[in-house]
Amino acid sequence: MQIYLPIAELPVNALVILAMGGAVGFLSGMFGVGGGFLMTPLLIFIGIPPGVAVGTQSTQVVASSVTGALAHWRKASIDFKMGGVMLAGGIAGSITGIFIFRLLTKIGQVDLMISIVYVVFLTVIGGMMMAESLRAMLAERRGTPLPVSRGGQHSWIHGLPFKMRFRRSKLYISVIPPILIGFFVGVLSAIMGVGGAFIMIPAMIYLLRMPTSVVIGTSLFQIVFVTGLTGVMHSVENQTVDAMLGLILVVGGVIGAQYGVRAGSRLKGEHLRALLAALVLLMGLRLGWDLVTPPADLYSITDAMPHT
Amino acid sequence: MIIMYRTGALLILAMLTLAASRAQAAQLVTDLSEHQVRIRSNFNGTQILLFGAVEVNNADERAQDRDVIVVVSGPSRPVTVRRKERVAGIWVNHDSLTFPKVPGYYAVASTRPLEVTAGVDVLQREQIGIDNVNFGTAFAQSMDGGAEILPADQEKDFVKALIRNKRRENLYISDPGGIVFLGQTLFRATVDIPANVPVGLYTATVFLLRDGEVVDAISSPLYIDKSGLERFLYRFAHNSALLYGLIAVFGAALAGWIASAVMRER
Repeated sequence: MQIYLPIAELPVNALVILAMGGAVGFLSGMFGVGGGFLMTPLLIFIGIPPGVAVGTQSTQVVASSVTGALAHWRKASIDFKMGGVMLAGGIAGSITGIFIFRLLTKIGQVDLMISIVYVVFLTVIGGMMMAESLRAMLAERRGTPLPVSRGGQHSWIHGLPFKMRFRRSKLYISVIPPILIGFFVGVLSAIMGVGGAFIMIPAMIYLLRMPTSVVIGTSLFQIVFVTGLTGVMHSVENQTVDAMLGLILVVGGVIGAQYGVRAGSRLKGEHLRALLAALVLLMGLRLGWDLVTPPADLYSITDAMPHT
Repeated sequence: MIIMYRTGALLILAMLTLAASRAQAAQLVTDLSEHQVRIRSNFNGTQILLFGAVEVNNADERAQDRDVIVVVSGPSRPVTVRRKERVAGIWVNHDSLTFPKVPGYYAVASTRPLEVTAGVDVLQREQIGIDNVNFGTAFAQSMDGGAEILPADQEKDFVKALIRNKRRENLYISDPGGIVFLGQTLFRATVDIPANVPVGLYTATVFLLRDGEVVDAISSPLYIDKSGLERFLYRFAHNSALLYGLIAVFGAALAGWIASAVMRER
């Protein structure tokens, strides 16, 4: 079933897009990840212009993170104060990211930047996930519990000024690290079309030492607003949000997530994580391969001016 | 009023004279199957049928020396061509060349291959064949965005690359032998309009050549535009970008909320 995308300006098979949305939604429901870091490269693989993939992907992230954030809100597992502080950084980061995106589009390097950022993150995250799940599988086979690695309770973070009390997280720390984390994730959100939970969650646990119970809810709360802003800004600055594409992705994602949540509660965690890690690694390597192999045609063409 | 009447009368007079002079050489009559292509959500490319008739002056005229060429060209826009070079092991866009007026679509069909129908001078003058279209004075930029000057042979490589890329996207088409004569006077040609075609005003020009010289030419307009929902969304996204963005994001948030409500029900 071919459908013509008004902003991407090309026809795609609606069923393929729906299936992609469903598959990524399934994985995101199963692993509790947003899935943006899988969807954007997939969209690029099937020929959607990278700019449109990133811009449109932000709407899909908004939809899935609203669903997640509402669930955590009902469970009261959101630290709104911490989320608010991170959001302040996230807004600044998102604006910076859009600016970088626009600048690189102008000088013709945006595709390269998206590819490089993805290669770095997909291989690093995929590699870490793979190592972790292999360790877990090995430990289970031997029957020994995993050692819980926790460093010293006090780190350099506690020496920073502008301290603030976060009651929900039971923390009294400087606002600088949360703002910086928010900022960094905001930049990534704007240039990668992702929510950034895969960076934010480890940072919140290991750097800020937030209780695990509030980490996911708080990151989702921040993601809703940062990606929302990113989506609006991509619309205004670059006109790269394709509502038709976004709609199909959201519908597929919502349906897929339902089944993903159920499957995730039934199946074995480590094996699935290893599978996801393999998928992520493969994608990173594929994108990386494209960067280092001589392209079929050294020359490429683009419209010089955004047409009005 | 009188002045308007006079200009009106003059205009009619001018048109009549033009028609008369045309009539003298009136050798070509053509039309398109469609003058408007609407891109709707099910658009997957289309074909335009172009048909016409050539008047035969005298019965013993040799058909071999007569050629018909059809050129359909789309709206011109500036296009940037970038060349990749290896930098630190990675292929990076390096030098670029921006051509000010590049047709977004260009199809040519003819009775015989172009090079045997007419000399290069004629083809260049009439801009027949994509190799003979003038893209305007190019502007070269180095990787850091600064202006630079590329040697002429390199510039030629960029032009070739531009045409090659457009051909690969099926936006530049040449179909020698694509015009089929049905008997002595009637001819027809089909022109492919691919799905990724740019929107805008197109012109379909039919040239009649005798002994390598253009003796008649007729242009007709062809309008390709998005239609229905596609048009609405495209216009909305470009004309009221802020509102479009807000609606897209709030719509997505609403979808997420509905999903959450549905999940709770079950």
